[in-house]
Amino acid sequence: MAWTGLVIGLIFGIILQRGRVCFNSAFRDIMLFKDNYLIKLAAFVIGLQIITLLLAAQVGWITLAPKPLNLFGNIIGGYIFGLGMVLAGGCASGVTYRSGEGMTTAWFAAIFYALGAYATKGGLFSGIANWSKQFNISVDTTASVYPAKTGPTLATIFNINPWIPALIVAAILFWYSFGTKTTERPSKLNWRWAAILIAILSPIAWITSAASGRNYGLGITGGWVSLFEGLLTTKGINWEGFSIIGIIIGAMISAILAKEFKLRLPKNPKTYLQVMIGGLMMGFGAMLAGGCNVGHFLTGLPQLAISSIIASAFFVLGNWTMAYILFRK
Amino acid sequence: MANYDVTKAIDVRGEVCPVPDVETKRALKKMKSGEVLEVWIDYAMSKERIPEAVKNLGHEILSIEETGTSEWKIYIKVK
Repeated sequence: MAWTGLVIGLIFGIILQRGRVCFNSAFRDIMLFKDNYLIKLAAFVIGLQIITLLLAAQVGWITLAPKPLNLFGNIIGGYIFGLGMVLAGGCASGVTYRSGEGMTTAWFAAIFYALGAYATKGGLFSGIANWSKQFNISVDTTASVYPAKTGPTLATIFNINPWIPALIVAAILFWYSFGTKTTERPSKLNWRWAAILIAILSPIAWITSAASGRNYGLGITGGWVSLFEGLLTTKGINWEGFSIIGIIIGAMISAILAKEFKLRLPKNPKTYLQVMIGGLMMGFGAMLAGGCNVGHFLTGLPQLAISSIIASAFFVLGNWTMAYILFRK
Repeated sequence: MANYDVTKAIDVRGEVCPVPDVETKRALKKMKSGEVLEVWIDYAMSKERIPEAVKNLGHEILSIEETGTSEWKIYIKVK
């Protein structure tokens, strides 16, 4: 059933390409350009998914899987990931879909991101990743939407019904999305529709992924690792790995149809070195943090997992630090 | 093709995000009122984001011309 990842990835890739969905830009633009277009997309899609994922869990279609809290990994890994994505010129999903658009720098960023993640999972950098696992915190819960042992969430911390924090946080995000002024941008697939489409796709992705034996929703880092494992070992490719292939092909088809596909090469070859270093930092950081801007931010925040909230905060801080260093003047 | 009296031209094709946006802002800062900046881009998102950012800074977008497949030149008049 892992092939269903290919179909989900194709659709995800088209939405990312048409909606210009990049979280590196979303984080950076509010700080650097006072432009909130993409962060509104992010806020709206998280608010919507808080509802769609919890609903899918409530009716028993999925079991949520909040990632374990690991202050060391979430903070240090998250910050390094945030620094890396600015150097790489895109977040995990950004460099993946831009690879399909013909952005050659994204190819190098994505491959080194995958290498960094693979090396941290089972190679040269695995020592620190394994060492940090001792700080993993999970809690016992009887809430039916979570597994018996779950990473802490806002609901488990206050020991309340998961719907209470879900509705409060979703309401705040919807207010931010629609109650404040939005920077104009004439994208064909506007931020509202891109968010709605992703929020619908997200539980479907989770259901098909769980059916293949992987109980989680959309993700990127594990997918790239799986592609490398599929290539370099005899392990085969999992749902998430197929979804990566789907995203690249989907973005490519979408870009070609919109006449936006082009092999883009930077004039200064040093740019390749910069994106490779950025990619490595992203891979290492994501693996240490337990997820990237999709696993933690896009899919983890809607579960109100504390690990994802902390990791996401440090993705943003890392992003702002590096954007400030490189682009403030 | 537009025939503006271009004061300065920058070619930011192929650069990673957000270098085109940042280079545009940097170039505009050094220019005088009434001068025209030509920005050569090849990424569709830049075509959507740069004009909006430039307008917010008070400059005028004279025109955006397609120069090839996924390639455009943006002409900006400095305020």
